[in-house]
Amino acid sequence: MVTIERRLVSDQVVLLVSGRMDAENAPQFEEQCRACIAEGVTGVVVDLGALTYVSSMGLRSFVSVAKTLQDKGGALRICRLTGLVKQVFEITGLARAFPVYDSVEAALLGG
Amino acid sequence: MAATTASLRAAIEFIRTGAREASLPEERIGELDLLIEEIFMNVCCHAYPDGKQGVAAFTYSVPAPGELRVEVADQGAEFNPLAAPPPDLNLSLESRPIGGLGISLVKALSPSIAYRRDRDWNRLTFGVSAAS
Repeated sequence: MVTIERRLVSDQVVLLVSGRMDAENAPQFEEQCRACIAEGVTGVVVDLGALTYVSSMGLRSFVSVAKTLQDKGGALRICRLTGLVKQVFEITGLARAFPVYDSVEAALLGG
Repeated sequence: MAATTASLRAAIEFIRTGAREASLPEERIGELDLLIEEIFMNVCCHAYPDGKQGVAAFTYSVPAPGELRVEVADQGAEFNPLAAPPPDLNLSLESRPIGGLGISLVKALSPSIAYRRDRDWNRLTFGVSAAS
């Protein structure tokens, strides 16, 4: 099960993603992001400090949303990678491909 | 079980039974779940094209304490997912395709994973060890 909490900081959205993101619920994350994009948001920070598991279907959602935001001149910034999720991002090279930060504050400043 | 996303949770729970029997530590369980999901979803998405309903068969054994061996089999067309060319993991976000990372994860998490074709079945076998 994955839970996503959203808050607005200036003109950027911070999504706190908790739990496990897998093939069943990865679309939930993508839908949340697309709703933000539809509202005109181009800066999204994703706090993964409470995410304990992500599969390649979850990674697809991250990459897909990031590409859409880039096309609009914005970005998807990742922060607080930890544990297995950090391992997955590193194995797949996404820890290098994404802008990754140690904190939400640093990610917001990176925007 | 049916090779559909709806069976994913049951597949993971079944193999977790084996993990408990093998006394795998908690830090190995997440990796095991990931291996099962990646292999199973590959079967769901690719083994049975054209809307055909298919199955995936899971078996496990505990050859020694702390060791779990798992086999995932399907009756799709002959296909070795391990033989596919690996994606370029150094690409920027702009240049990356959206998917294609599942098998990279599987190979990294279980380097001993092996494929064989056995009559009508594709069989992927891997091991997870407490000492990994």
